[in-house]
Amino acid sequence: MKIAEQLFGQNISVKNANLHYGEFQALKNISIEIPEKEITAFIGPSGCGKSTFLKCFNRMNDLVAGCKIEGEFRIGETDIYAKETDVNALRKNVGMVFQKPNPFPMSVYDNIAYGPRTFGVRKRAELDGIVESSLRAAAMWEELKDRLDKSALGLSGGQQQRLCIARALSVKPKIILMDEPTSALDPISTGKIEELCDELKKTTTIVIVTHNMQQAARISDRTGFFLLGKLVEYGDTDKIFTSPKDERTERYITGRFG
Amino acid sequence: MMTNTKVKEKIGKSAFTAAAVLCIIAVAAIFVFLIVKSLPAFKKIGFFDFLLGDNWSPDKGDTYAGESLAGSYGIFTMIVGTLAATVGALLLGGVFGYFTAVFLAYFCPRRLKRVFSSVINLLAGIPSVVYGFFGIVFLLSKLSVIAPNNGSGLLATSIILGIMILPTVVSLSRTSLEAVPRSYYEGAVALGATHTQAVFKTCVPAAKSGITASLVLGVGRALGETMAVVMVAGNSPTYPNSLFNSFRVMTANIVMEMGYAGEVQEGALVATGVVLLLFVLVVNLLFSLVSKKTVRAAVKPKNKTVVRKKTFHGVARLRDRFGNIAYKLKTSYIGRAFAIGAGVLSGGILVLVIGFIFAQGLPHLLKNPKILYGKFEFGSENITIFPSIVSTLMAVGLSLLIAIPIGVMTAIFLNEYARKENIFIRIVRSAIDILSGVPSIVYGLFGMIAFVGLLGGKSSILAGSLTISIMLLPTVVRSTEESLKSVADSLREGSLALGAGKMRTIFKVVLPSALPGILSAIILSIGRVISESAPFMYTMGSVITATPSSYLDSGATLAVALYRLAGEGWYMQEAYATAVVLIALVLGLNLFAEWIGGRLRKKLKGTEQ
Ligand SMILES: Nc1ncnc2c1ncn2[C@@H]1O[C@H](COP(=O)(O)OP(=O)(O)OP(=O)(O)O)[C@@H](O)[C@H]1O
Ligand SMILES: [Mg+2]
Repeated sequence: MKIAEQLFGQNISVKNANLHYGEFQALKNISIEIPEKEITAFIGPSGCGKSTFLKCFNRMNDLVAGCKIEGEFRIGETDIYAKETDVNALRKNVGMVFQKPNPFPMSVYDNIAYGPRTFGVRKRAELDGIVESSLRAAAMWEELKDRLDKSALGLSGGQQQRLCIARALSVKPKIILMDEPTSALDPISTGKIEELCDELKKTTTIVIVTHNMQQAARISDRTGFFLLGKLVEYGDTDKIFTSPKDERTERYITGRFG
Repeated sequence: MMTNTKVKEKIGKSAFTAAAVLCIIAVAAIFVFLIVKSLPAFKKIGFFDFLLGDNWSPDKGDTYAGESLAGSYGIFTMIVGTLAATVGALLLGGVFGYFTAVFLAYFCPRRLKRVFSSVINLLAGIPSVVYGFFGIVFLLSKLSVIAPNNGSGLLATSIILGIMILPTVVSLSRTSLEAVPRSYYEGAVALGATHTQAVFKTCVPAAKSGITASLVLGVGRALGETMAVVMVAGNSPTYPNSLFNSFRVMTANIVMEMGYAGEVQEGALVATGVVLLLFVLVVNLLFSLVSKKTVRAAVKPKNKTVVRKKTFHGVARLRDRFGNIAYKLKTSYIGRAFAIGAGVLSGGILVLVIGFIFAQGLPHLLKNPKILYGKFEFGSENITIFPSIVSTLMAVGLSLLIAIPIGVMTAIFLNEYARKENIFIRIVRSAIDILSGVPSIVYGLFGMIAFVGLLGGKSSILAGSLTISIMLLPTVVRSTEESLKSVADSLREGSLALGAGKMRTIFKVVLPSALPGILSAIILSIGRVISESAPFMYTMGSVITATPSSYLDSGATLAVALYRLAGEGWYMQEAYATAVVLIALVLGLNLFAEWIGGRLRKKLKGTEQ
């Protein structure tokens, strides 16, 4: 079997997105264009819908019972909510890193090999190659090459999170979604992951949710500010942080609410 | 290629659903078979004559076609007997279990706690025939000194049943006692109550519903118990007029006569099973009513604020109470003495049961180890339990092969595919609840009517294994489901986010993490097959002399063999040796379970580098 390929572009385009959890409307009429190979940050107070919006891009919201999504979501030319779109292929192309590191309870090697194996890679040599390149891409190869067969659960929190990034990279995603990837980590681990993002954006589109204003300012090219399910302001990070157009954005980034 | 995955997903889901449907079918089949088989008897005998008649003297010649009945089929004495034995068990085992639970929760030194928990677990694991055997060789012989008869009767039955329901009562009571917020206790002590007062006046009342539920569960267990009772009750179909007269319970009625029953008699025995089943179902319903509101709330408080509110309320109420009581009783030694006494005594019982049987049986076993592996020679003095060992192993193997896949798949269905409640899921859950409540002798009846019937009327290891498999299902489903629940959702999300399908996620990520639960289900199941005897008597057969060579042969498991050996009274040494083997197996399984459980958990936590 070959690794499943389906043509997805690397830019995301959303028009008039509305999302309901049962009766509750979590996203209100959001439209956004996310360019390829840049880092886009979503900021906003807790509960404003950042994670919900992020999870629309790899259809993780499909798992939530009672979740209704309207609007147009395109990655490249592909309508990701179209009937003929294969969810698994979508998720292979749109990787995700979660807030809390979630390595599988298996060895480091098997964690990384999980994705490729899912898509039919069986040959040991090929897997070895993928494991090494993924770990290298996550700047972990030197650290981990001697403990590939040890349980991933024995790693530190920061290492686990970078392992999860390596795991996400193992299927060569074109886009990576990160939901507060550093909120459970110490500053040093956070720094490493930020460097990593900077490196990854050469080839990959990154969308990151963060509560850390400095982080957004440091690493992102574009920033979107969410409030109560609405995208209040979206634009170049420099602009957003130096001269926001909306008063609510300004109040939020200067720490006066949220 | 992608469609390939889709097809796999579809097949997987259908298979899991099918397993769940099987559980429903099992329950339906039990009811249908029992009712169909008993209805003619109810009709022929007359519903009220059957329930309220107190004369049981069956005639083998009675047929449904015959004009009238020569025999008489009233089970009222047995209904009374069953209730009396249950009340007796509750008085002894319930009260005793209650104090033991209080002891474990509040008076037991921390280091001893683990020991006592293991003791209680072991008590729960000892096969009921072993209790019955202990009853015969120890209890009856001691009681016969003061009894006008050989010691059998209501007292002996109540004592044995009391011991048997003890673990049930203790473990659930203890869970709910330990779930009482610490602040209750602290509130009481802060008001000047002593430790004992705080425990009995504050913590115990707070756990009242959990304790009640545990007693109800114990009642269910006592109602359905068969073999142990058969061995010490005497079994004459008369009322239990005194502590020492032979009487019969409903379960015993079935076991005693099923082997050689005439047509109407057989129907009447199945009808006895139906009445018994109704009793147990009512008790179980009662249990879910009692426990629904409070035990679950007590065991896992939904959110903290509620608990805190309750605490304030509790403390306020306390103040009023202790206004009076704290002055009156400075200390109360009685409660403490009871609790500690109960704890020590239940440990003592285990030591006594195991010690006595080992002391008698082990020397014989060591002197004559051939009993384990020697060939059985008919008519010779060389009784061996080799045939029973083979039968037991065969039954264990096949029933695991049936029950584990179906049970695990049902659990997967319930936990992975059915997160939103709907009618179907509720039916599956009630089916499993009902299965877990059906008394073992009723499974035996069902197996006899259904499987033995289907397999040509001859008892066989196949029929026995099928029967016990159904009985294992609820244990397997629950144990697996618990461990599936404990697998973090973030792992599922991690797998799905990589593009893996649901099947792959379940088999590669969820199930491996749930392995400890599945393993404990397997071990529990093995223990169950080894310990049970009532479901096997008439499905697998009770012939202990022939080594089975195929699954279509009949054969007695070790537990059934012990019943036969002890019942016939000729081969007491061999019976002791069999009991030793049974206890050793159960002990070994318990130890193994603890060991492997610890290891696996460590491995999954990643502490093992
Ligand atoms: N599965 C769900 N079912 C119902 N409501 C949900 C669900 N998930 C999220 N919500 C609600 O939707 C809103 C947006 O939630 P979301 O998790 O997207 O917020 P967030 O911006 O990521 O917040 P945080 O910064 O705390 O992570 C919240 O009000 C939340 O309560
Ligand atoms: Mg979030």
